Amino acid sequence: MHGLFRWSSKWWPGVIPLVIFWAIAAWTSTEPLEIDLAQRSAAALKDTILDKRRISVAGRDVTLAADAFSEDGRQSAVASVAAVPGVRLVDDQTRLVPEAKPFVWSAERDVLRVTLSGSSPLPASRGRLMDAARANLGGVEVVDRMNLSRGAPPRFDNAVLLLLDLVGKLKDGKITLSDTKVSLSGMARELGGREAIVAALKNLPEGFSVAANEVKAPPYIFQAYKDPVALTLTLTGNVPDSNVHAALVAAAGRKFFSEKVVDNLKASVGAPAGFANAAVSALGALSRLSTGTLVVSDREVKLSGDALYEAAASEIRGGLGKDFPQGWQFKPEISVKPAAAPVDATVCQQLFAELLGKARIRFETGKANIVADSAGLLDRLIETALRCPTANIEISGHTDTDGDEAANQGLSEQRAQAVADYLVKAGLPANRFSAVGYGSTQPIAGNETDQGKAQNRRIDFVVK
Amino acid sequence: MAYLTTFYWGWLLASGLVGFAMGWISVVQHGNGVSRKLRWWLSALVAALVGAALARVVPGRFGYWLDLGLIMFALYLFGCAVGSWLRGWVVSRSAPPA
Repeated sequence: MHGLFRWSSKWWPGVIPLVIFWAIAAWTSTEPLEIDLAQRSAAALKDTILDKRRISVAGRDVTLAADAFSEDGRQSAVASVAAVPGVRLVDDQTRLVPEAKPFVWSAERDVLRVTLSGSSPLPASRGRLMDAARANLGGVEVVDRMNLSRGAPPRFDNAVLLLLDLVGKLKDGKITLSDTKVSLSGMARELGGREAIVAALKNLPEGFSVAANEVKAPPYIFQAYKDPVALTLTLTGNVPDSNVHAALVAAAGRKFFSEKVVDNLKASVGAPAGFANAAVSALGALSRLSTGTLVVSDREVKLSGDALYEAAASEIRGGLGKDFPQGWQFKPEISVKPAAAPVDATVCQQLFAELLGKARIRFETGKANIVADSAGLLDRLIETALRCPTANIEISGHTDTDGDEAANQGLSEQRAQAVADYLVKAGLPANRFSAVGYGSTQPIAGNETDQGKAQNRRIDFVVK
Repeated sequence: MAYLTTFYWGWLLASGLVGFAMGWISVVQHGNGVSRKLRWWLSALVAALVGAALARVVPGRFGYWLDLGLIMFALYLFGCAVGSWLRGWVVSRSAPPA
């Protein structure tokens, strides 16, 4: 042992090659070592959820910078790197992802793209949201401006996936989720989109609620155009369902006795409440015009055209709005058709016969109340009566043979009188008209068939 | 340490061999070695370096180089000791008994 100690005083010359070896080893090994440790550290963090992870290695010291989503996750990440063989020190520059309060997420859609912004809880859910957005919005560019934050409400992902589905129903607009409150604004892509969105929002996960829904839908449009030259009534736009569709076409057929109904309507959801009633009333007003256009846009009814005489114009202007359900607006732009040239009594009689040959004045069954569908016909009869101001006219009521003769006689008189009253109310002098009831004594067709009876139930205008 | 030895066993082996050769030679080498006083100073220096390495006070690459140097030096010393002891044993066996 003493020898070993003595000999050791002569070991120093070997230090010179040792130092040279050391220098070469340090020169060649440092970078590969650092790369190896960086790879091992990254592999050790493979299953740890971190954001903005950066690993840098100097010698055997690892600097770990990252945003963690929980304190446990942060500590376990540091411990994982410290446990990598060869790592000497870990410089811990990790921090917790900032907590967002309130936790706000939003999706904004414009013509070109959908921008997702605000906060998202985890990288995985961020990726899932982006994937869902791309899948739902087929072909639209999706821009990710989301930050990662802590503090998301429970079931955040489910809620946002549902909201992303709604973004697909918007033409433009914004959906914002602030903690558990959903706010929506913008324009729905199609008719009924607003209703579809409202229905879908009922499926929001428990705890989430709608704070504001200001999504608008494109206007629900129904149009009718009366063409006096082609003698057509063209119906275009939307109707809620096939029942309303059939009812509108049937009403148009009753009200427009000399026009052919061209039906270009299509069924679509999203009609405002009271649509069917308003549309039927408005068609009644249009039937009284010589030419005109009816546009029903949501709850606004625009009727423009020419009435046949002044009293009809003011009646339409003032009267139609009253028939509409609450909340509906009526915007009449009614002018009066220039009066037609006067004609003599013979021509007047021909014109009356022509009009009454096309349609009959209709009454409620068994009563003397004129039904609204006959307003268009009556306006034309009044217009004709105005063209022969000197002629006196007998308004004669007729019935079929059904029922008691005395009752028929009475009914025919009442009906003739109702028509005469209508004409007088329209501004014609009462002394020009005489109302006469003939009961069933002057049939123009056999009373054996329903068709014949229908022809016999009539009002005739006879110029005296 | 285990990681370093598996990673750079070649350099460590070389250090050991240099030490072994130096130890082998030192037994029969004539001339003066390092003085006792200097030896104490050198020992103190090495102890200080070992202390620094264990305390991990030298940062980054310098820390790594220090560790690497000390391990190589330790193996060198081990090689020297083995070489000297072996040479001493060989010499004492072949020398005629006094």
